[in-house]
Amino acid sequence: MTKITSRHYVFAGLFAVVTVSMMLNYSPDTVVSAETQKMYDFVESLPAGSTLIISFDHEASSLPEIRPLALAVLRHAFRNDIKLIGTALLSEGTGVGYRLMQQTANEFNKSYGVDYVYLGFKPQYIAAILSMGESISRTYPVDYLGKTYSEHPMLKDIDTYNDIAGVISIADGSLTTHWIEYGNARFGVRISAALTAAMVTTYDPYLSSGQLEAIVGGLRGAAEYEKLLNIGGGGKRGMLAQTASHLYVLILVIAGNVMYFRRRSSGRGNT
Amino acid sequence: MSRRLPQIVCLLFGLIMFTLYFLDHPTAKQINTLILVDYWQIIFAFTLVVGVISFIRNHVTAISRGNDRLYRLLSLFGVVLMPILALIWGIKGDSPFMWVFENVQVPLQSTVFSLLAFFVASAAFRGFHARSGPAAVLLIAAFLTILSRSSLEGLLPDFIPDIAVWVRNNPSMAARRAILIGIGLGSLTTSLRVILGIERTWLGGEK
Amino acid sequence: MTWFAQDTVLTLIAAILSIAIVLYTTFYKSKDKKIKIREIAGLRAVEEAIGRATEMARPLLYTPGWGGDIQRPTTIASLNILSYVAQKTAQYDCDLIFPTHDPVIMAVAQEVMKEAYANAGFPDRYREDNAFYVSSSQFGYAASVEGLISRRKPASVFLLGTFEAESLILAETGNINKAIQIAGTDSTIQLSFFIVACDYVLIGEELFAASGYLSGDRSILASVKAQDILKVLIAIYILIAVLWVTIDPSSAWWKL
Repeated sequence: MTKITSRHYVFAGLFAVVTVSMMLNYSPDTVVSAETQKMYDFVESLPAGSTLIISFDHEASSLPEIRPLALAVLRHAFRNDIKLIGTALLSEGTGVGYRLMQQTANEFNKSYGVDYVYLGFKPQYIAAILSMGESISRTYPVDYLGKTYSEHPMLKDIDTYNDIAGVISIADGSLTTHWIEYGNARFGVRISAALTAAMVTTYDPYLSSGQLEAIVGGLRGAAEYEKLLNIGGGGKRGMLAQTASHLYVLILVIAGNVMYFRRRSSGRGNT
Repeated sequence: MSRRLPQIVCLLFGLIMFTLYFLDHPTAKQINTLILVDYWQIIFAFTLVVGVISFIRNHVTAISRGNDRLYRLLSLFGVVLMPILALIWGIKGDSPFMWVFENVQVPLQSTVFSLLAFFVASAAFRGFHARSGPAAVLLIAAFLTILSRSSLEGLLPDFIPDIAVWVRNNPSMAARRAILIGIGLGSLTTSLRVILGIERTWLGGEK
Repeated sequence: MTWFAQDTVLTLIAAILSIAIVLYTTFYKSKDKKIKIREIAGLRAVEEAIGRATEMARPLLYTPGWGGDIQRPTTIASLNILSYVAQKTAQYDCDLIFPTHDPVIMAVAQEVMKEAYANAGFPDRYREDNAFYVSSSQFGYAASVEGLISRRKPASVFLLGTFEAESLILAETGNINKAIQIAGTDSTIQLSFFIVACDYVLIGEELFAASGYLSGDRSILASVKAQDILKVLIAIYILIAVLWVTIDPSSAWWKL
């Protein structure tokens, strides 16, 4: 039988905090950050009819956080009549990406092959990014649904990164780095990213150097984006749970320090 | 010879890929695409086979030894079932394969991912102590950052988010850049050592 | 039509300069007797970690993380350390488990371990199925390694390579199971997790210097020296650029 330790109480506390706040039907207001505004402005600046690559570079695990982000970005792009090419550099993002594109395309009455195309998964991400720079049609001779590249009217004049306005990498890890290091550095394509919260600060150096155009990150970023689009969504709904869990962690840090200093003052704390 | 040949291939392809990066000629582009699209993808397909064989062998060996039989049988069942589903009904749209993916794989993986939050909480409780002056500064910076990333930002005095942004954009960024430069240079020298055959551990051989 | 991609000229110059410095130090300076590398606490602790596992008669778990594949230099650096660790575990007759997410890394690790056991003089102690593939999926891999740590209770855990979100899950599980943990990664965001949960952490480039440090090989140590020369050059460039832009804010040459 496992001995109950303070760790178990910490786990139980977090579970209770998140569960209760998810049950409450309240969504706190969020202040739009400069970085989310920049991402919004980037998509807003693209003329109608221009083409973006949306790359679903994530695993199934991060779907609860990625889904609201991806939906917000896709809705914004479709709302502004931007044509979208969907790709996936991780196999698990493939099916998810197609579903999300299909769902948002239906919301805006967009047609497959005319307003959006889903090319699907290509293994070996570095090779895929580099070879798309040489020829997208050669890299993806057929799309996710098995149709040939040339069948799609919207792809008629598109074959390299020079023909597209940019790439938005929807990622939960370091794949966006490869888009920057190979797509941007080698071919000069503009890269933006929708990232899980944990990954946001990883990209700060690239963002400030201009190698990364814009980022939107985490549930909070999704909530901010939804606010800018004036729509509801998973980001807004999840903000109470996120805020509550942040506060819970802060309380834990305070409690941990109080206990540490009490132990230290009683001569046992130098651990 | 068993070591020499892979080293020669490694050097050759290292030089080819390096040269192709700087060339703009259509032939160079064709060779580049050939290597990246065809050759690389073929290798990837074979590695999958190696992975599957290793996975099956590892589990069968463990089952024969009586280790974690139930879990391992379940894993093998999954390995056999999923290709059958994919072959019969495909992997797209509303296929059984996608049903399993969305209703088994996604929740299972999200559950493991969510453990991260629990471990962050326990690590914060156990390890984030103001043991020294610098540790106290880190603690305060983390405190302000967490506060400014929550929905409480609107309720906080302006200087708190401002400080958090300053910390992220200045000391944090400077440290991160320095580490990134070090990593970049480390990657460069390691790659060169491999291409030039100075580093041979990856072949199973000594340096 | 030009053969040369004009926009890559600066990259080419930087690459040639870097390669020249690495080649010069590797083939010329490696004859120099005075190549010293500072003490790296995490690497000094490797023997302690192996000794602990041997004394406790428990295995040692080594994993290179989910984020890298075989073409990533970090993975190569990790496999170099694995070679040293495997030699030591062979000498001490300690079980070394190596789960990975990539079949190619598995195959290379098997070769590295086999060779290390042979070099240590104990080829019979090598077991091929100790290096194995678990899952290519990030959290499938995390769950599998976490399960291994919980069930087999390794005395020491080595987390060296490219890690992503699985880092804290593995490090905290090791911590819960009271394993001595040595971690190192090139993922800057994961370093903070490792620092909280592990006993020793190799920060970024220390991982690349490790094989020279552990083996004492002069040509590898010389290439570490090349890194330092390049680092000094970059620092000088940054310093000049900062001074220049302070004096002349409208200047742009430093952007290259």
